[in-house]
Amino acid sequence: MRKGRILVVDDEEEIRRAVGRALAARDYVVETAEDGEQAVAAARRFDPDLVVLDLNMPGLDGFAVCRQLRTWSQVPILVLSVREDETDKVTALDLGADDYLTKPFGTDELMARVRALLRRAGAQGSPPAVRFVAEGLEIGLDAHRVIRSGEDVKLTKTEWSLLEELSRHPGKLLTHNWLLEHVWGPGYTGDVDVLRVFISQLRGKIEPDPARPRIIATDPGIGYRWLLRPAEETEQLTS
Amino acid sequence: MSVTTPPRKVASEGSRVRPLVSPRLARLTSLRPRRRLLGYAVATGGSVALTLSFLPIRNDITPLSKGFGFLVIVVIAAAVGGLWPGILASFLGFLSFNFFFLPPYGTFVIARAEDVGVLFVFLGLSILISALLARAAERAEAAEAREAELQTLQALSAQLVAAVPGPETYQSILSRLVEAFGFSAGSLFVQDAKARQLVERVTVGASSGDLSPRWDPATDEHPPERLPLSVGGHNLGLLVLRGARPLAPAESRVLRAFCDQFALVLERDRLLRTATEAEVYRQSDNVRRSLLAAVSHDLRTPLAAIKASVTDLLGEDTEQGAEYSKEALETINKETDRLASLVANLLDMSRIEGGMLKARVQPVDLTEVLATCIDRIERQWPRLRIRMGTNDQTSVVRADPVFMDRVLTNLLDNAAKAAGESGTEQIELESERSDGRVVVRVIDHGPGVPESVREQLFYPFYQVSERHPRLGTGLGLAIAKGFLVLMNGEIWIEDTPGGGATFAFSLPAGGDR
Repeated sequence: MRKGRILVVDDEEEIRRAVGRALAARDYVVETAEDGEQAVAAARRFDPDLVVLDLNMPGLDGFAVCRQLRTWSQVPILVLSVREDETDKVTALDLGADDYLTKPFGTDELMARVRALLRRAGAQGSPPAVRFVAEGLEIGLDAHRVIRSGEDVKLTKTEWSLLEELSRHPGKLLTHNWLLEHVWGPGYTGDVDVLRVFISQLRGKIEPDPARPRIIATDPGIGYRWLLRPAEETEQLTS
Repeated sequence: MSVTTPPRKVASEGSRVRPLVSPRLARLTSLRPRRRLLGYAVATGGSVALTLSFLPIRNDITPLSKGFGFLVIVVIAAAVGGLWPGILASFLGFLSFNFFFLPPYGTFVIARAEDVGVLFVFLGLSILISALLARAAERAEAAEAREAELQTLQALSAQLVAAVPGPETYQSILSRLVEAFGFSAGSLFVQDAKARQLVERVTVGASSGDLSPRWDPATDEHPPERLPLSVGGHNLGLLVLRGARPLAPAESRVLRAFCDQFALVLERDRLLRTATEAEVYRQSDNVRRSLLAAVSHDLRTPLAAIKASVTDLLGEDTEQGAEYSKEALETINKETDRLASLVANLLDMSRIEGGMLKARVQPVDLTEVLATCIDRIERQWPRLRIRMGTNDQTSVVRADPVFMDRVLTNLLDNAAKAAGESGTEQIELESERSDGRVVVRVIDHGPGVPESVREQLFYPFYQVSERHPRLGTGLGLAIAKGFLVLMNGEIWIEDTPGGGATFAFSLPAGGDR
């Protein structure tokens, strides 16, 4: 069974080998590249379903590869970084990367991210999810309704569009600036406090326990992620 | 506009007031003494000559012609000598006119009332003409003097502004200043921020310490000029200038203006120094930051490979064969070695930089140390072939055996990397004896080292950049050099014939055995 073609880009041979070995052992088809130029060439030739990309490489670095890939490909990009610096990750995500992993990471963590990214990419062809159902919470994007414990939840216009943007990309890490731009408009980039306030309001209305969010997860200093899986077609929204 | 100089204190310390003439008089008497003497001569001689030449014909000419004759003398005397020669000529003409040419002759009695009028009109007119001429001449001269002042100031200022900061420049400016104003000696004192007092910077025309910044009435017969240099009330220094004569007001004015500019230059130099210090600090801050990033990268990369391999082995979601496990374990082993070597290098470097190391120099058998190092390197780089060209004659050096091991390990490691890069997989080792020293060469056929970066290659963390932080080989070479210096050794880079780099080092030979 073919699970997916993965391109691993890292200038460190041992990382390439360790990651490549682990992926190959789980039946992925793996190709490796040791610098940015090779990575771009391999992406064209190999046509991967996912790119695991190290940010910090001599020559053409991970940021440049991200930018180049995004000019012609929507292949999911999982960025690897050894730096604590949040700005690096945010920059990569804003350049079009889909998720990141900080070195050192465990294989299980890597596999979880890889599976999530491949699944989301596979779902991209199908129509966008419109319904979410979880623990007494039902969200119907098309019906424009949120029902919690059998009762309608009133959302403001901004809260609603925030919920829409988040839930439209389940599992994907959305940066502060991306959310601000798509919900509020281009003039609001950098205004993270506003975003924080509305996220907290939204959590108060939909999360079972807002102190320990399980629907909207925080990536400190970077952004937010929608964790709820879309409901199956057959499930019906209770009215 | 004019030379009016109010009485003022010329020196900051002491209250010496320059003897002052009335400004008006100063203006009118400012013509040069020589010309004034000439003017007096013209006034006296001209009047006598005119009187003598008019005497024989005094009855044939009218008083008007005689009067005009004397007026010509007045004009010439005033034009040449200024106001006072003009006035002298006026009075001589007045007396001679009256005595010799107004009837009755030979007396000061004037017969005709009209002649009295003519005589006094003559006197008034000639004094007026003298005054006007003198003033015009004085103005021209003042303009000239001002021009000269400006030129002096401009020449000095231009030099000052163009000057590169530093004591040599101050020296040349001070000599120019002393020369331009006719001083015999001068000293520049600069306010020292740390000592909080004036410190002598340069002295011209006297030995250092001759000129005191402090006014001492007991020893100073002719007290030197003391000109404070200050900007915005902030005292930066003091110029002390010794001369034989007191300064003219115009000179003093130029000097003050120059001092203001000098103060600005001192301030500029001070700010420049501060800026340089800030830049040095900023750069060392950059190095620190890059270094931290590099250490973080170099420590985390092996850690990441180890972590990935270990979690892979621990995981239960794949069926792993013995071959698979062995591969993962090999990665772990290799990366652990890498971490260990990096930690050893970082420790070495910090000990070298901290100056805590002392070489225990003793006779060391080079072949023995080499054998251990080669063994280790060959295990680390299985495909590498090392050819040895060492003989017994050169085998003993005076060195610290532990340091020696670190030097060779780092050089061999560096050569092995270069060989790996070029794919030649071969390095050579040679040693020879020359001038009581043993030279060891580690020869690779890699990409080589450009002449321009050879020196920097031995600086710690040379390869470190903030964007792509790698400690790389730079650290190893810096360590090799650090240890060699402690053992009285030297290290340098040569070209390998046919391409590649040769790292050579020398140590004192250990004598014959």
